[in-house]
Amino acid sequence: MSLFTFSHVTFRYPTQTERPALDDLSLTIPEGEKIVVLGRNGSGKSTFLLHLNGLLRPKHGQILFRGEPLDYSRRGLKRLRQQVALVFQNPDDQLFSASVFQDISFGPLNLGLSEEEAWARVREAAAICNIEHLLERPTHALSGGEKARVALAGVLAMRPDVLALDELMASLDPWGRAKIRDILDGYHARNKTVLLISHDLGLVKHWSTWVIVIHQGKAVFSGRVEDLLDDQGIMDETGLLAIWREAMQDCL
Amino acid sequence: MHLIDRYAYSNALRHVDPLIKGGLALWIIVLCLGLNEPLVGLFAVVWMGILAVGLANIPLRTFGGLLLTEGAFLLLATIAVILSISMTQPSMDGGWTIHLGPIWLATSRVSLYQGANLILRALGAAAAMNFLALTTPMVDVIALLRRLHMPGVIIDLMTLMYRFIFVLLESLERMVRAQDSRLGFNAPPMRRLQNAAWIATHLFIEAFLRSRNLQQALASRGYDGGDLRVLPASYEFDVRLLVLGALALTNLLFIWWLI
Repeated sequence: MSLFTFSHVTFRYPTQTERPALDDLSLTIPEGEKIVVLGRNGSGKSTFLLHLNGLLRPKHGQILFRGEPLDYSRRGLKRLRQQVALVFQNPDDQLFSASVFQDISFGPLNLGLSEEEAWARVREAAAICNIEHLLERPTHALSGGEKARVALAGVLAMRPDVLALDELMASLDPWGRAKIRDILDGYHARNKTVLLISHDLGLVKHWSTWVIVIHQGKAVFSGRVEDLLDDQGIMDETGLLAIWREAMQDCL
Repeated sequence: MHLIDRYAYSNALRHVDPLIKGGLALWIIVLCLGLNEPLVGLFAVVWMGILAVGLANIPLRTFGGLLLTEGAFLLLATIAVILSISMTQPSMDGGWTIHLGPIWLATSRVSLYQGANLILRALGAAAAMNFLALTTPMVDVIALLRRLHMPGVIIDLMTLMYRFIFVLLESLERMVRAQDSRLGFNAPPMRRLQNAAWIATHLFIEAFLRSRNLQQALASRGYDGGDLRVLPASYEFDVRLLVLGALALTNLLFIWWLI
């Protein structure tokens, strides 16, 4: 069974006058994969991601999660957000609490866990993200890489089945990116789905097992990396072909 | 802001229960404001200095520097109490007057005492506030207010405002650098004023966008209204601070009683 199925999903922001952010988007997302979402700036990737845990609701079309339509009631959203976690592009948008351990504890306490259980979740997530030494630190005194890992720990503490990241690694140095990638690999090894928006074609080639390409609000591809590389039409239409060749030449 | 915050997180009393630190600071402030005696203020400054420098390991230079800055503001504020300015010669018994062109400056022993009284007592209260600020991170102050059953909405607002100070400071620094690199501050005065206004406008828009993003991020982690619940911190009990604090309060009361 597919993890997510988007059927003719359309979404338009109130200020948008031209084409909608998501324009009749249809695709399926398989479970247990390492997925990279590709697309140009403004293609609708972030809007697509915000639909995954019900932060945005489609104007038209339907989204199925494990075969069931998304339930936008208060209880339904709570259940969905426990299973599908989002990490935002800028960790400063996510970290609200003054200290690291308190910020990580926010999700578990929202799940209704006791303080003891929440503490256990905080320590577990901190261990996964290798930030045990930062727990007492104020969030504003962290480096960019540390903030990214704390933001990640904040959602891992909710033990979601699906982890979706919006270009979290974009502003990190190669060491910071490697650390995040290790965390994601470790999480995926627990039979979880990891989905991330990235412009890093190296990540697509060497890390992902599934690729989604969004172009002008439509999903133009959702499949294996090899199939994408073979699909010259889509590669050309989305402009990926030229960039891909350039990236591969750089690698060589 | 950054300096105070750095010491608040690194001082030797960092993990001491904020109830003790906050309680002590509050009592010192109450005594300074309530007991109309300048020596109480002076001794409060000395005691707070002993506790901040001796016990919390705050550098004397930092503690003193903060007090001097506050003292300078207080001095400016009390000039009106100490000096009276008039265009005609004032009639004063037991006072001093200086004639500067058409202006007469006058003061008296009573005005000087009132000025010193105001400055010293305000400095004593400021020293207590500095002690709290330098030894207690805002997160602990907020946690303390939560323990004291302050309404959740105020606590949440304080938490978010504190967090946003640093987020917006970063944005402000970025915008100032961006303008500076394009000679934004080497322009004629009116242009500089306009540039500053642009920064203020963009900062306002950024604050709005950030708050929208934060709201989405909170919802994404299961927040659906009510208090922003996070784990409480655990603290230590410091007997030395308790004993010295009690000694300081007794000392201030004794001075007032003695005089």
